[in-house]
Amino acid sequence: MEVKVEGGGEFCDASYEKICMTTLRDISLESNIDSVYMNCNAAEHVFIISVKIGRVQSPITVSDMTIKGDERLTVTTETYVPKLLDLLWDRYGEKVEQISRLEIALKIDDDEMQKLMSQVVYDPRVDLNTRILDGIDRILPEGARVRQPIRSTGRITIIASENPIKEEWKENAKAMLSKMTKGDL
Amino acid sequence: MYKIMMFTGGVYKFSELKERIHDIGGFILQEMVMQTETMMHLAFPEEEERIIRDKAKQTGGKLKELPLAGAEIMVVVPSLGKHHAVDPMCDIAEFLRRKGAITNMMGLARGVGKRIAQITTREKEIIEECDAAVFVFGDFKECLEVKSKICESIDVPYIITGGEPEVKIEHYVGNIGRKTARMRHREEIDMLEILTEKIESLIDDRRRELDEDPLATSPLFMKEILDLVLPPKAGEEFSTIMQLEGLRVKIEAGDEEKLKNVEIGKRKLSDICVIKKSEYDGYILKILPEAVTGNVF
Repeated sequence: MEVKVEGGGEFCDASYEKICMTTLRDISLESNIDSVYMNCNAAEHVFIISVKIGRVQSPITVSDMTIKGDERLTVTTETYVPKLLDLLWDRYGEKVEQISRLEIALKIDDDEMQKLMSQVVYDPRVDLNTRILDGIDRILPEGARVRQPIRSTGRITIIASENPIKEEWKENAKAMLSKMTKGDL
Repeated sequence: MYKIMMFTGGVYKFSELKERIHDIGGFILQEMVMQTETMMHLAFPEEEERIIRDKAKQTGGKLKELPLAGAEIMVVVPSLGKHHAVDPMCDIAEFLRRKGAITNMMGLARGVGKRIAQITTREKEIIEECDAAVFVFGDFKECLEVKSKICESIDVPYIITGGEPEVKIEHYVGNIGRKTARMRHREEIDMLEILTEKIESLIDDRRRELDEDPLATSPLFMKEILDLVLPPKAGEEFSTIMQLEGLRVKIEAGDEEKLKNVEIGKRKLSDICVIKKSEYDGYILKILPEAVTGNVF
C-alpha cells in the first residue's frame, strides 16, 4: 500500500502518512488498498482523501475454513468462526453444537453436509466500502465533519471540512482525481 | 519545605524506615506492600534528606525524586474519541504519574476542529480545580494557533502540546500531535521529558509564590489528619488527593458537617479553608494563607 500526504508541512505530512498506514492496517485493510492520497489544507480547513481500492480476497466458503469429519467440522481458520456459527445456527438450529473452540458437531446427513461445504461464510467485498469509510473517518481530523464524496470508479474520495464544502474545493478534488487516474499524483 | 520521594525496595527494615520518617516529622502518602516488594511515597522536611537517604541505603532500597508530587494535573483532549484516545492522551498522563503527579483526563464536549472548537464554563471550572493542565491538540500549525485561544481563559498554569515543532504559542511543546501507537521510542520519550520539565517549572513557580505567602498549614499535615478523622472506605484509593494549595477530599454525603468541624491545631477546618463542592469529584479545600487566618497552632 502506497501512502502520500501533501500540503500539511513536513511534520504533519509524515505524521499523517503514519496515521494512514497504521489505521488501515489496524482494521485489516492494508491488502485491499492499492494507494492512499491525502491533501491537507489546514489554513482553509479542508482535507481531501482518496483511496484506491485494490485486490479483494475471494469469498470464504465453509470448506476454506474447516475440515469435514464424521458429523463434525474442525475449524482451521478461527477468524471467521462467529460468522460460521451464525450461518449454522440460522440454518440448522439445535442440530448444531460447538463442542470445543475448534470443534463443531452437526447432526445432518451427508448430502446436506456436502452442500454446506460450498456455502459462503463471509464475502469481504460485501462490507469493503463500509470498512474503508470507517478507516477514512478514523484518519481525517475529527473536526472535519462536513463531508462530500466525489464519484469515481475504483476509488473512494472524500472532501472533509468543518465549513460548508465550497464548489472550488470540489473542482480541486476532481482535478486531483483526474491527475491520480492519469498517474501524475 | 517538604520533599516528596518514592521508595522502592524490599520488606527488610521497612518498618524501621517508616518509623524514621515519622520521627523526623515526615509523612507517608502512599504505601504498597506486594509480597516481598514495597513501594512508598514519602514526604519529609528537605533538611532531613540525608537521614532518609542513609536509612534507605541501609534497607537496600532505592529513592526516586518525584518532581510533580503533590500536584493534581488535568490532561485535556479535544474529545474522547479514537482520534485522541488512547494515544497520546494516556501516554502523557502515565508519564506525569511516573513523575509523582495525580492525573485526571478530560475530553471536551466541543473541543474538536479549528474554528468550531469551544470550551464550556463548566469544563473551565473543572480544569481550574486542578493545579495545572496539559492540552493535547493535533498536528496542524494553523489549527493550533486558532485553538490555543480557548485555553487563554484558563486561570491555572497550562501547557499546550501539538504536532508542529515550532508554533508561536506560549507554553508550547511540539513534536507530539496525533499518535496511533504508544509513545515508546527514544525521541518520543524525550518529548515527554521536555513536557514534564515545562510543567515542573510552572509548578515550581507556583510553589515559590506559596513560599512567599505561606499557607496556614501544609496540605500534607491536613491530609494526615483527615485520613484519621474520615478514614477511607475499604478498598478505596486516593480518598484524599493533595494539591499545591489544599486537598480534594472524597467524602460520603452527610459528612460535610463533620469535615467542616475537623480540628486543625487550634482552629476548625472551615476557619482556615475555603470549602467548595467540586464540579467533578468530592470537595475542594483551598487552604487560606497564614496572613489571613493567623497562627493555627
